[in-house]
Amino acid sequence: MQTEWHGHYLDGRTALTHRAAIYLTESGLRISLESGRSFSWPYGEIRQTQGFYSGEQIRLERGGEIAEALLVSEQDFLVSLHQFAPKLAEHLHDPRWRGKRAPLILAAAAATIGIVAALYLWGIPALAAIAAARVPVSWEERLGEAVISHLAPEPARCTDPDRGRMIEKIMTTLTTPVSSSPYRFRVIIVDEPTVNALAAPGGPIVIFRGLLEKTQSAEEFAGVLAHEIQHILKRHSTRALFEHASTGLLIAAVAGDVSGIAAFGLETARTLGLLRYSRRSEEEADAEGMRLLLAAGVDPAGMIAFFETMEKKGGEAPALLSYLSTHPGAEQRIEKLRAIAQGARQKPIRLIPDYDWQEMKKICPAAPKKG
Amino acid sequence: MIPFSMRCPKCGLIQARNPTCKVCGTAVGQAGEAAPSSGAAAPAARRVEPAPAASPLPKRPAAPAPITAGADEARRLAFHGSGGTLLGIHTVNVLLTIVTLGIYSFWARVRTRGYLLSQTEFEGDRFAYHGTGRELFNGSLKAGLIFGLPVVLLNVAPELLGAGDAVKTAAALLIYCLFMVFLPFAMVGSRRYRLSRTSWRSIRFSFRGRVLDFVKLFIGGSLLSLVTLGAYYPIFDVRRYAFMISHSYFGNQKFEFDGQGRDLLWSYLAAVPLSLLTLGIYWFWFLAKKQRYLMDHTSFAAARFHSTVTGGALCLLYLMNFILLLATLGIAWPWVVARTTRFNYAYISLKGALDVAAIQQEAQTASATGEGLAGFLDLDLDLG
Repeated sequence: MQTEWHGHYLDGRTALTHRAAIYLTESGLRISLESGRSFSWPYGEIRQTQGFYSGEQIRLERGGEIAEALLVSEQDFLVSLHQFAPKLAEHLHDPRWRGKRAPLILAAAAATIGIVAALYLWGIPALAAIAAARVPVSWEERLGEAVISHLAPEPARCTDPDRGRMIEKIMTTLTTPVSSSPYRFRVIIVDEPTVNALAAPGGPIVIFRGLLEKTQSAEEFAGVLAHEIQHILKRHSTRALFEHASTGLLIAAVAGDVSGIAAFGLETARTLGLLRYSRRSEEEADAEGMRLLLAAGVDPAGMIAFFETMEKKGGEAPALLSYLSTHPGAEQRIEKLRAIAQGARQKPIRLIPDYDWQEMKKICPAAPKKG
Repeated sequence: MIPFSMRCPKCGLIQARNPTCKVCGTAVGQAGEAAPSSGAAAPAARRVEPAPAASPLPKRPAAPAPITAGADEARRLAFHGSGGTLLGIHTVNVLLTIVTLGIYSFWARVRTRGYLLSQTEFEGDRFAYHGTGRELFNGSLKAGLIFGLPVVLLNVAPELLGAGDAVKTAAALLIYCLFMVFLPFAMVGSRRYRLSRTSWRSIRFSFRGRVLDFVKLFIGGSLLSLVTLGAYYPIFDVRRYAFMISHSYFGNQKFEFDGQGRDLLWSYLAAVPLSLLTLGIYWFWFLAKKQRYLMDHTSFAAARFHSTVTGGALCLLYLMNFILLLATLGIAWPWVVARTTRFNYAYISLKGALDVAAIQQEAQTASATGEGLAGFLDLDLDLG
């Protein structure tokens, strides 16, 4: 075993390197400098700050904040140290252990992938559901107000009182089975050609004129409303907020410190990751919405018919895409809705008998034609 | 003195003594042809050095000369790190960060920085990082209390309390003001912390600029840039750099910067429309010019930095990095870090006399609060 080594000594006061001979002794390292100075470092007072990877200089330090340092280039120095004083040098890195590093890193990588996948598939949705259930309804209502003041500003709303009452009537029928819920539902029609509808947290349901015009009956319209009511009842928006935040944290943990282009890539990854959650929410709103229709005694054929209309026109008009893109595959959705609707035995009620639904589409005052 | 390094007569590379050049394979003659010894070759020489059994002290060819002669010699930084090792470190970091619900991330950062610095070599010796996870953790907690809490409250409270528009506007303005003050505070704090935890040959770097001076410079410069529709920006940019450099020390020796922002003004004013016309590609050429200018006006004691970076090289670097990250879905990130570091060092040299014996330790204290703030503000600062 080699007990004599060579390295460089730094006194921590100047930038001069001193050549040093290093001898392994019973109690510590004896260091002998070119100048003739000689001193001992007890093993217990030595700490290692560099030299954990191959090709990296070994750096041993002793002392307080500004320490003296000993630099040795040969990795075998550490091996000798461990052979010579196995107990006393235990706290220093042993290069012979490096062979175990690759399998350990592979195990860490496998564990990381497993944990990240489990968090993404189950952990985050479960946590978001638990957290969302604990958010007070009043907070959700304020949040909802902020959302609709942005997406459905007051001047853009269609407030025809007679037709509004008709919609209220539909809502009353629909919400009777869930009358114990803490939410105050209300429908806002916005004068925009977009074929879309959305549920803000806390109760407001926003329907864009474009979507209303695509419905052929009160029952079809009720199908859309039932879907949106379930978004609110299941707190999907609030859950999405938590999912958005925790997915961001998870991605940050995986990526570490990044900036620039990489950060942009991460934002894309996050958006893609969140798609899965929004699909799940849509499926839930579909199924529960259909059950709500059945519970309220509304004819389920309306909802199915409307979804079929959307599917057929999906390819034609780009305006329809916005409604379908976050929604699961249309054919599958309709299949599922049919399966649930088959459970219905009772004869459906008519929502607003003797009313011409085409009248409803005039709820927004015709805008003065430009040019 | 026996020369322990040689310069290849064909390609000019300075390397450890060998019968043939390790890059181009040209046979090299005897010692007479060798170039004056260079520090860059020292680690190689050190590693191959046989240990004489009898003598208490090695008759090694030469240590990096304490007082270096050869004032014309270009000294360079070298990076020895590998992407693979970095990926290993990162993998373990990610696992521990998730398992500890994020708390380990501070220790993770220390491990990554420590590796990158200890793989950086100058004159045969490695740099060292002395920061600790505990420091970063405490710094981040403090920064969160000082900065994060007020900002979150100002953001959320008006909305939740259903305050009027006037209150919301006031809160938004206040947040903006907070950013304007905290941003320069974080830049200085982060630099002060990082320099104080970096050493070469055990001598610590330090930053001794006053925060208030920089806050004044920053707010004044930002406002002037706004008023002049961006025309003042290059001058502001150089003044910020000048502040950071001219208050930096290595031991008791100071870095100096003698550039003037107006020297870059016209290049900048020309670069903006040219970049728009070339879909941003021209910007790399301006960036290279700026980097060369800043480096060439930076000096340490009697030695001066010099950069030879070109726009084409920068453009290629970014393009390759982008492709690498895209093609591997980000897994190539450690290799991107390694090649970018290597790229940066390849174009920078330090020329002139470097009196190492005159450098004395003069470490300064620094808290990690500014560093924590920088983390909150998503600042990515590197050591200049």
